Amino acid sequence: MSNDQTNTLDARLRTAIDKSVSNPVMFFFTTGALWLVVSILLGVLASLKSHWPTFFEAFGELSTGRAYVAHLNVLIYGWCFPAAFGAIIWFMSRLCRKESKHAGIIVAAGLVWNFGVVIGLLGVMLGKSTGVPWMEFPNQCWVIFLFAYILIAIWSFVQFRVREGGHVYISQWYILAALFLFPWIFCSAHIFTFVFDGHPVMTAAVASWFKSSIVNLFFIPVAAASVYYIAPKVTGRPVHSYSLALLGFWTLIILGAWGGIQKLTGAPLPAFMPYVSAAAGVLFFIPALTIGYNILMTTKSHHDLAKKSPSLRFTVASVIALIGMGVAGVFLNLPSVMRGTQFSLSGYGYEILALYGVFSMSMFAAIYYIVPRVTKREWLAPSFIRTHFNLSAYGVIAVVMGSILGGYLQGAAVEAIDQPFSDAKATAYMISIFNSIAWVIILISNLAFLFHILLMAVRLGRHSKHATLIEEHHGSSPHGADGKVNNY
Amino acid sequence: MSFQKFTLGLVAAFGLPWLLLIAVPFGTTRNIDAPEFDEDKDGRTGLYETASRTGRVANGSEVYGANGCYVCHTQVIRPTNAGNDLWRDAWAGQKNDDTKNGPRESNAFDYKGELIAHIGLTRNGPDLSNVGYRLEQAAAAAGVSPEDYVYQRLLTPRAILDNYDSTCPSQPQLFRPANAFGQTTEAYLDAEGNKLVPGKSAKALANYLLKLKKDDFIPDSINYSRD
Repeated sequence: MSNDQTNTLDARLRTAIDKSVSNPVMFFFTTGALWLVVSILLGVLASLKSHWPTFFEAFGELSTGRAYVAHLNVLIYGWCFPAAFGAIIWFMSRLCRKESKHAGIIVAAGLVWNFGVVIGLLGVMLGKSTGVPWMEFPNQCWVIFLFAYILIAIWSFVQFRVREGGHVYISQWYILAALFLFPWIFCSAHIFTFVFDGHPVMTAAVASWFKSSIVNLFFIPVAAASVYYIAPKVTGRPVHSYSLALLGFWTLIILGAWGGIQKLTGAPLPAFMPYVSAAAGVLFFIPALTIGYNILMTTKSHHDLAKKSPSLRFTVASVIALIGMGVAGVFLNLPSVMRGTQFSLSGYGYEILALYGVFSMSMFAAIYYIVPRVTKREWLAPSFIRTHFNLSAYGVIAVVMGSILGGYLQGAAVEAIDQPFSDAKATAYMISIFNSIAWVIILISNLAFLFHILLMAVRLGRHSKHATLIEEHHGSSPHGADGKVNNY
Repeated sequence: MSFQKFTLGLVAAFGLPWLLLIAVPFGTTRNIDAPEFDEDKDGRTGLYETASRTGRVANGSEVYGANGCYVCHTQVIRPTNAGNDLWRDAWAGQKNDDTKNGPRESNAFDYKGELIAHIGLTRNGPDLSNVGYRLEQAAAAAGVSPEDYVYQRLLTPRAILDNYDSTCPSQPQLFRPANAFGQTTEAYLDAEGNKLVPGKSAKALANYLLKLKKDDFIPDSINYSRD
């Protein structure tokens, strides 16, 4: 078969794959974007009420505690997981070169998942929260999530098993690990908390471990799968080093499940637990730096492309955030620092760095790459993408730096026992004001994103052969030479 | 690398920490035997037993969790190697009381009867391990009963003079309008002057908070705060 024929067959296969997963992928991305805006609104509210407690005071359903809990849970279960599912389904189909035959079941399972989020959010707002961090949605929700997850994820496993052999790409390792470990982490955390009768402090340790493990072994691997896919694709270069990719993967998997319990240092637990977790927290910089370095070396000498390509720009931002996470892990887990920061806002800063700075940015990269392929339309407006990127980046830097460094000051003020506790309260007050402004910036950014992706979902993107770039001048037409706005 | 080897690698890399950090400690800490007092060191004999949180107090722990109080308040007094909590004024318990051994760090028996120990996420507000004492003292100073003080504090956290800079949210959702059932005797005013009476949740939470006194006398064998 000639090269031309192979290329045509290849292109047909890709088109067929994209078409087969179009509905579930767009379903997860658009519902995710919607929940992301809801979550950020709740984040703004929680942050506002932290320094302006009389705001909406008559509505106890929106008290600081409930709004904060709803904010993080909707972010995780409403946006992060569905975005990950959408990306996993598309990456796995493309990398295994298999069409999806179960799009209908996946969309149905996605509806069940979203039903779980609605029930959970209402539960938290109406005072039915379980009070277990990151597992606050009322008890029955986790069963709904697990059921939906199995129906969503199993097909990607099947695709991998029935693929026609050949090289297993780095992104596939990460996706397989995430798909395999998620149910183990999720089930054991919920069963140990809500089914078995354990010691209350050990339950708190399980919850803390759950937060850390779900980030390290689900969200970070999916983010890594995305950046390892997009960086070489957009730059047209192979991954810088295969050995580093292996090192990054296995160190992440080996260290990932040891973390979390350092947040309970000093609580009555077996003494080795927080120490081991803190050590794992410090060592996390090895996979973080390895993955980050490998991707940055792959994109090196393509800085112009990173300016133009939305996917590459978000990818680079995501790996820089990942390196930042590695550095923050070392800083926050030093015993001298942790005395103060253990119970300060820096924990929140670290979580937002992981969930938004690393994970969400990599998912935005994936979405800007995938959506034009599955909708057969190009993104409508470079200015929306630019707004989304700039405001997201500035906003998340502000929340993360403000919370981590501010949290350090807050912790130091709590530890300074010769000074009144109101000093610490004043620091927390200052950080909250800063966070409120930053979340409003992120809100504007994601309103632009939501609007943009909704247009794509109803096929109102550009009908063009040229990808929408962030910085490109199209001459007289705002949509390029062949860029008439497609309204049908 | 074959798929089997890959899966085995995953199981080993994840299974080991899961077993050592979660499964085994979960099993071994489920029932911890209470330590015994030592006649010589403690001046008394018998088992150290803490009152379990049952009934309304246990419900109060659930209300505390459901309203996200743990987002801003901790309930743990760390040993000195981990933090200065023991020396923060009134956080670690009462001084100079012959039934107590003074301020002490939290122990594994302090959270008995709760689903989860509300260790807490931040200290935007103070630690509540021994808030029961502080509430009683403040109530006495204001000349009201401890319960009355807690209800009013939950409704109007900033109305109390020394608490003007609090960012604690008002909790009107735990109360109901007074006139709905014709009760006016135990009504409390919210910031807008509405008369409210505490609902089931407010009562449970108040009971729970007033019982937060984690400084009971402990055997010398588990007293790591001793001089």
